[in-house]
Amino acid sequence: NCPDKGKMRNSYCRVCDSRAHSSDRCPTIWRCYITIKTKDKIGMPQIWCYNCGSKGHFGDECLQQRSSRTPNLNGSSFSGGNLPKSLR
Amino acid sequence: KPIQQYPWIKNRDHSKQLELSDWLTLEIKDFINYISPSIAEIEARNNAVKRLRKEITTNLWPDCYVNVFGSFATDLYLPGSDIDMVITSDSGKYCAKSYLYQLSSFLRSKNLGVNIETIARAKVPIIKFIEPRSKIHIDVSFEKTNGLRAAERIQGWLRETPGLRELVLIVKQFLAVRRMNNVHHGGLGGFSIICLVHSFLSLHPRLITNSIDPLDNLGVLLIEFFELYGYNFGYDNVILSYNPTVCYLKKEEHSYLGASNTFALAIQDPDDPSNNISRSSYDIRNIKRSFIGAFELLTNKCYELQAASYKERLGQSILGGIIRYTGKER
Ligand SMILES: [Zn+2]
Ligand SMILES: [Zn+2]
Repeated sequence: NCPDKGKMRNSYCRVCDSRAHSSDRCPTIWRCYITIKTKDKIGMPQIWCYNCGSKGHFGDECLQQRSSRTPNLNGSSFSGGNLPKSLR
Repeated sequence: KPIQQYPWIKNRDHSKQLELSDWLTLEIKDFINYISPSIAEIEARNNAVKRLRKEITTNLWPDCYVNVFGSFATDLYLPGSDIDMVITSDSGKYCAKSYLYQLSSFLRSKNLGVNIETIARAKVPIIKFIEPRSKIHIDVSFEKTNGLRAAERIQGWLRETPGLRELVLIVKQFLAVRRMNNVHHGGLGGFSIICLVHSFLSLHPRLITNSIDPLDNLGVLLIEFFELYGYNFGYDNVILSYNPTVCYLKKEEHSYLGASNTFALAIQDPDDPSNNISRSSYDIRNIKRSFIGAFELLTNKCYELQAASYKERLGQSILGGIIRYTGKER
């Protein structure tokens, strides 16, 4: 009688292949941008970490111990994955 | 006639939007339009300020300046908010307490104010009163120029940061409903709220790369604001700063701004680097918790509406989960 069995079965998302949430609670349902298509090449902007305050990486990719006690299960907007493909 | 629960959605149905984030963006714009003051309200406010300025400078103190700062000066006020006024002079003499009493008796004798309260003992002595014709609450302080400097800076930010005004008004109303916007009770002051939103917009990966127009994406940005400051921001380690542009500092390297490694919001004053403008916001734990609540309510509503039929979506509000507003019909 594994108490997690039912939970595990339900929390798989087909949209983003994640076990952190089920498809009907996928963040892509609301994290959806209307983007601008620009032809100009953009240089790498300065980026800052919400977790340790350093320059050069986003908080989602911080290697320091997490400061906030609330977990970041699904990833947030402050992630390298949210940069245009050419800058990732 | 039943009171409309979400008056801003009247005749504004977005239930056919394919993306929930677009629905929320449109609802945010509807709410901003709804709470924005009418021409008559703007005139009443401006006239109250003009009348007081004229009376004070012609019939009381000809050498003083009467200026406004705070939300009135930056156009970031919600209906019913106060006007912050400051009396300054070239000599700086009006900080003496005697002038506080002179002004309050002048207001009384000329019927320029009712319910006049003279608060002389506070760190910043002020007079509070209600302007009788407009019924607006006014606070007057003396020889304090930091509010004026801050108002100028915020006006600049508003010009160069699309979306700042909209998100600030939503977050302000969200905190006002929960009584978490009063600095005297540990809440977030107007300037701190503006800094949180401005820093968020200035560091967001999609915005620093010009990949999105913030005005087209207010819905997802609002949720991501609550995500950053509710779940992820390192309140123990990180200071919001302007050095010279928006950045973060490490608390341990700038301990003069507040104790290192303690759970507290630290925002470096752009006009005075040794000052933490949010040092009195001691209720930050509850504020963080309320931001988590806002994130949960907004995203849960999105999940619910995503699964709902078109018929069930009709007349629904996403923003109504976090904002109550029972103003007059507009
Ligand atoms: Zn997913
Ligand atoms: Zn880091």
